[in-house]
Amino acid sequence: MKTFDIAIIGGGPGGYEAAIRASSFGKKVALIESGHMGGTCLNTGCIPSKTLLRHSEILEDMKQAKDWGIETGDLKLDWSKMASRQNKVVRTLRSGVEGLMKKHKVTVLRGKGYLEPQNAPEGHTINVISDKEEEKIEAAKVIIATGSKPSLPPIEGLDDVDVHTSDSIFSIEELPSSIVIVGGGIIGVEFATIFSSLGVHVTIVELGERLIPTEDEEAASVIRDKLKKSGVDVRVNLSVASVAKEASGKSTRVLLSDESSLETDMLLVATGRHPNTEVIQNTSIDLQKGYIKTNGKLETSLPGVYAIGDVNGKIQLAHTASAEGLVAVNNASGKPVQTIDYHTVPKCVYTLPEIASVGLTEEEARSSYKDVKVSKIPYSSNGKALSSGNTEGFVKIVAEEQFGEILGVTMVGSHVTEMISESVAFMNLEGTVEELAQTVHPHPTLSEAMFEAANNWLNMGIHH
Amino acid sequence: MANEIFMPKLSSTMEEGVILDWFKEEGDEIETGEPIFEIMTDKINIEVESYHDGILLKKYFHKDDTVPVNHVIGFIGEQGEEVPDTPPASDEESSADESSSPEQETAAPAQEPETEVSTEKVRATPAARAAAREKNVSLHNVSGSGPKGRIHKADVLSSGSQGKSTPLAEKMASHHGIDTKNVEGTGAGGKVMKNDINALLAESSENRPENVTESLRGVRKVTAERMADSSSTIPHVTMDFEVDMEQVIRLREALKSSVEKATGQKLSYNEIFVLAVSKALQRHPDINITYDKETITYHNEVNVGVAVAVEENLYVPVLKNTERKSLSMLADELKPLIFNTREGRIDSASMQGGTFTISNLGMFAIDSFTPIINKPQGAILGISRMKEVPVVKEGEVKVSSVTTFSLSFDHRVINGAPAAAFCTTLKNLLEEPYELLV
Ligand SMILES: Cc1cc2nc3c(=O)[nH]c(=O)nc-3n(C[C@H](O)[C@H](O)[C@H](O)COP(=O)(O)OP(=O)(O)OC[C@H]3O[C@@H](n4cnc5c(N)ncnc54)[C@H](O)[C@@H]3O)c2cc1C
Repeated sequence: MKTFDIAIIGGGPGGYEAAIRASSFGKKVALIESGHMGGTCLNTGCIPSKTLLRHSEILEDMKQAKDWGIETGDLKLDWSKMASRQNKVVRTLRSGVEGLMKKHKVTVLRGKGYLEPQNAPEGHTINVISDKEEEKIEAAKVIIATGSKPSLPPIEGLDDVDVHTSDSIFSIEELPSSIVIVGGGIIGVEFATIFSSLGVHVTIVELGERLIPTEDEEAASVIRDKLKKSGVDVRVNLSVASVAKEASGKSTRVLLSDESSLETDMLLVATGRHPNTEVIQNTSIDLQKGYIKTNGKLETSLPGVYAIGDVNGKIQLAHTASAEGLVAVNNASGKPVQTIDYHTVPKCVYTLPEIASVGLTEEEARSSYKDVKVSKIPYSSNGKALSSGNTEGFVKIVAEEQFGEILGVTMVGSHVTEMISESVAFMNLEGTVEELAQTVHPHPTLSEAMFEAANNWLNMGIHH
Repeated sequence: MANEIFMPKLSSTMEEGVILDWFKEEGDEIETGEPIFEIMTDKINIEVESYHDGILLKKYFHKDDTVPVNHVIGFIGEQGEEVPDTPPASDEESSADESSSPEQETAAPAQEPETEVSTEKVRATPAARAAAREKNVSLHNVSGSGPKGRIHKADVLSSGSQGKSTPLAEKMASHHGIDTKNVEGTGAGGKVMKNDINALLAESSENRPENVTESLRGVRKVTAERMADSSSTIPHVTMDFEVDMEQVIRLREALKSSVEKATGQKLSYNEIFVLAVSKALQRHPDINITYDKETITYHNEVNVGVAVAVEENLYVPVLKNTERKSLSMLADELKPLIFNTREGRIDSASMQGGTFTISNLGMFAIDSFTPIINKPQGAILGISRMKEVPVVKEGEVKVSSVTTFSLSFDHRVINGAPAAAFCTTLKNLLEEPYELLV
């Protein structure tokens, strides 16, 4: 039986980065992956979606350019070329990850890994099952990084129609004329942005009262208004009662909970994700709401076994998975114990305009702190935003009044996903609004909005 | 060559000392000025500091060992240096060479061993450098307390986070009056973070009700043992009697300025009490006694001990031959004696030879108490506060200042009647104090 110091199950952003770190600690590492290296993020998540969103961005710029006197004639969209660019980006990155595994001498085992019940006090056995063979390996420490997969809600008739999830949508060969997206969370609105910019008629059906409920309400409403302006049909407070194939066989009829119905060319379900926990089905590792339960050190209830990324259900984002992976490897390698700090993990929504946030939303801050002061600066007063024609959006600083502790920052607008890192750094290093207000920002940039917001918070705004 | 560590001779009468505690182990690094051990002589305990930099090579004696003065206790030298396995015989003559014994009053030797490594511009001891490396502290940021600004290990340790704290932590700390230099930082390079301040605040609120346990040492230990011994072996009887203080007050008022003129000291009630007690003891020699196992000694001279509390310690400096002294002489002697005791500058000789003790708690709201006899003395007088009470004088109720005196006596050697007679004499002397001046 092959033995390893550390075995990592799952090769997504959590697992593969953990493998590299473990190897640089001098450990003998195995990485078990049943699908493509890079996981959801690289193959059917962050990367392909951002590739397609870039197309949307260009299309939007071109529309705007027309008003500015830059015309290119009739727009021609070639989906197959866009799709192949997307695939090429994914393939390039994937082979990059595979190369990294070789470079760091990580043993990659292809197949589905299952943790066996522990029969020795030290060490764990993993059964790796592929189409061709079954192999048992042993490892002193195990890191579970099996991620998550789209979950389908119990909708009547769903089995009898063609339904897409984020797993399959990136492989469509033709653009539909219309699409109904069930679920108005981050993934739903990103797909709405992609498809509507390509001229597809989009309807979003959201059960809750607003889109992107995880984000600041004001920020979410900017996105809602923008989507509506682009012709997206936003239906909130509604659920899908049933779906059925139209008699023609080509389209799908979607019956909503208010008894209205829609006919659509394509149906995309983006109602949430379900953790891949089959890996521990033969063990008694504790679960919490279906996710693998972990503590601050990323340990599961079974000593020597860690769980990171989407499968532990903490924050389902790629960079969280990676950060957790590094902490888990550190702890599994017997280094001075580290714990993960989730409160400065940034979150990005790649709509047009984008949303980026870190820390608490205004609403959350007000419910947990007594004296909260908020400063909000619109992009429309920022020189760079005006000159580049990106005046939609704002930056908002939520800070506690006594010491000016920055509790959260929310930004909406173009390039905010790049800009949020300043706020993350400030929060991580515990800079307060005061230091932010004294920090020189380059001119003209969108980032000056942060400077302005900080000074405004101190009632010393220059332009506000 | 290794340097000897001697049992210091702290006073002319001191012949031996008891090692209370070692602060260093063999192999530990020691710097000039660092305390090495603590010793006790009769009633004084003191930390003895090193005169040399180096390694503690040898400890010949252990905790609770009694060592004659100028005897070699150990050696300080360089790592690996040879030292004898047994303490070298103490050479009485060489004890005259007191400069090599770490006597308290002697100034530090003029020539100090140059131990600092001066590859960098910063002057620091090797221990300080090691601590700085370990704590990731830049020596450039530490101010040295040693000669020529040399940095000692303690300077590095107390430098704490050395200004490294996040802006938020700094604001919180200043709000709560915390010096971030004293906070252990958990951030990068020991930087003090918000959570460190919160942890400290939580800890201090958690710690508030916690009890402090410490082992008794030095004077406190001696006091504890003596108290227990006295209380368990002596059958104490305590007699309370009230004294009308009106005349004492008047006497003090009348003599205050002349005593001050003569001695520069303010006359206080203590001197009057000592004088009255001395006179009364002269008239009652059966009270002015010491009792040691089988023998009673009746003392011709009166030596009055006065109990003085210094922080948690209790000292009893003794005024000698008080029966021969006037009020101004007593003021002249007692004031500096009490002052020196409070300042910790009292030698053990000044605390010996007492024949009677006074414990005055008049400054507290105490109406009477049972003092415990200071062995081998036969009796002790407790004095409580003065307070105004209605008294009947010549058939009339008047307001008068009254103090309760409490005499505890050793009933093995003093009977009730003579004790009561002494109390009566003392009461009369205080109520008609002009007799004292005779
Ligand atoms: C459309 C979409 C867009 C997204 N956009 C973003 C974004 O912009 N930014 C962002 O931060 N996040 C984004 N996410 C989320 C992000 O993809 C996930 O948070 C991230 O991939 C989680 O990483 P992971 O390592 O935990 O798991 P995954 O990436 O899911 O990887 C898990 C891997 O484990 C493998 N596996 C599972 N079970 C086993 C087993 N038993 N044995 C062997 N292998 C197994 C899987 O095949 C998979 O490769 C997006 C997600 C989607 C769906």
